[in-house]
Amino acid sequence: MTDGPPKEPVKYVEKQVHLPYRYVAGDYKARYLAALKDKTILGSKCSKTDKVFVPPIVASPESLAPCDELVPVADRGVVTTFCVVNIPVIGRSIELPYVAASVALDGADISIYALIQECKPEEVRMGMRVEAVWKPDGERQGGHEDILHFRPTGEPDAPLASFMHRL
Amino acid sequence: MPGLRNVAVVGFAQAPIVARDEHRIATEMLYAQVRAALAQCRVEREAIDYQAAGSADYLDGRPFGFVAALEVMGSWPAKPDLHLEMDASFAAYYAWLRIQTGDSDTALVCGYGKTSEGDPERVLNLQLDPYYQAAIGLDPTSTAALQASAWMARTGTTDRDLAALAARRRAAGARNPDAQVRAPANAEDLAKTPWAVEPLRQGYLPPVGESAVCLILAAEGKAEKMCDRPAWIHGVDQRIELQTLGGRDLSGSAGARLATERALAMAGLAKAADVDVVELCATTPVEELVLCEAMELDPTGTRPAINPSGGPLAGNPLMMTGLIRLGEAFRQLAGRADGHAVAGARRAIAHGAQGHCLQQNVVWVLGDQRRWT
Repeated sequence: MTDGPPKEPVKYVEKQVHLPYRYVAGDYKARYLAALKDKTILGSKCSKTDKVFVPPIVASPESLAPCDELVPVADRGVVTTFCVVNIPVIGRSIELPYVAASVALDGADISIYALIQECKPEEVRMGMRVEAVWKPDGERQGGHEDILHFRPTGEPDAPLASFMHRL
Repeated sequence: MPGLRNVAVVGFAQAPIVARDEHRIATEMLYAQVRAALAQCRVEREAIDYQAAGSADYLDGRPFGFVAALEVMGSWPAKPDLHLEMDASFAAYYAWLRIQTGDSDTALVCGYGKTSEGDPERVLNLQLDPYYQAAIGLDPTSTAALQASAWMARTGTTDRDLAALAARRRAAGARNPDAQVRAPANAEDLAKTPWAVEPLRQGYLPPVGESAVCLILAAEGKAEKMCDRPAWIHGVDQRIELQTLGGRDLSGSAGARLATERALAMAGLAKAADVDVVELCATTPVEELVLCEAMELDPTGTRPAINPSGGPLAGNPLMMTGLIRLGEAFRQLAGRADGHAVAGARRAIAHGAQGHCLQQNVVWVLGDQRRWT
């Protein structure tokens, strides 16, 4: 501050913002995450339409009825949509290219995001059957990382009509 | 003022304010309130034409958190929807405007947010101008202390006056089951608590709290079917002042004064003191005194009753503290205030605020009868 006023006009001010957070998982997500430790994927069932949401949510956005029943869904399902990722993402160290997909698990009415591995990206297609590859017993922590990725099962493809409303 | 539609508050549900709900996320807290408010009105979502909400994603750190809230406000079939990064009392104002246009008759207004998940003092620092005021680390307690100093210098208000006011609100909060601070405290003890930031003591300020609220508005014709005793909106006005703290006189609130004048004029009332109940969104005792001056109210009087719910000093869930004032006015007029009811209340004022040192103000005037015929 001893140098006097700046000789050049100040064009911008750089500022870093640090905001810490301390989350709760939530009633439904806490049970969902804990169940992953036992290789169980939980959804919540709409009391009005019987649709099953994964991860579980408190109410159906469609009917606004409560989803008060938690039900297990399969750890396998169908690729509904996907994209081949060719650009590195900060914080992810997966070898490029890889496939990020929406997977509708058997028994669920909405898809989850999943990483597809153990096949070539060009082999992935809508309708492809896939299954979860879990971390070994004793290593699962009750988090999303408990599922390493999904891989093809080799079953015949599912017809579009079976998943077009579960994208 | 001809041509306005009679619109009423017909339902209000609030989660009791807590320091931190360790189990539920914001949407889980809110869903219970949406269901409760709809149930009060004996309707399902199909009866709602318009949705509005107030919250701040920065407070609970979930980008696009307001979209997740639509899951529990209802999102199918799609309805006109508005989200404000402001206290939900301002969302109610926009919903009221929308109903005035005639294309909607009913509106669901929600406020929510997990204040405990973030650091509100740091987040609210970002409301200030980034070059001079945010940069020196001012938080809302510091700016409230600047305002308190300005007020006390101008009016001669003493530390004991603030303690006495805080003690009165604590006594009222003890009668409100939704309040967070329910333990009464006497002025002597509050005056011994340490400074939060001088001249404001910790005992004069509300703790961090969180809640979820849902309020329903309906126009004449539908309001009567949804509620036995609707709280009719007689007047409303909102005003916004400069962000820069040095650009306005912090010892007063020109915005609150003007909003009050305009809302009273719309309501056909001569003065704020003509109502029975006033709920002020004052998060410090000094803010309450500033607002009383702007509204020409006696802060020590018994009629109108000021903050019979305990007000924000007994619970300040950010982004919904203002909407709760409107909900409390409804409770008083609809006979639902139970243990903190003001006997014979027929008219009420509900105030909402946003920003440092009452930067933005909204003033509602309500009555138990329709305003326009």
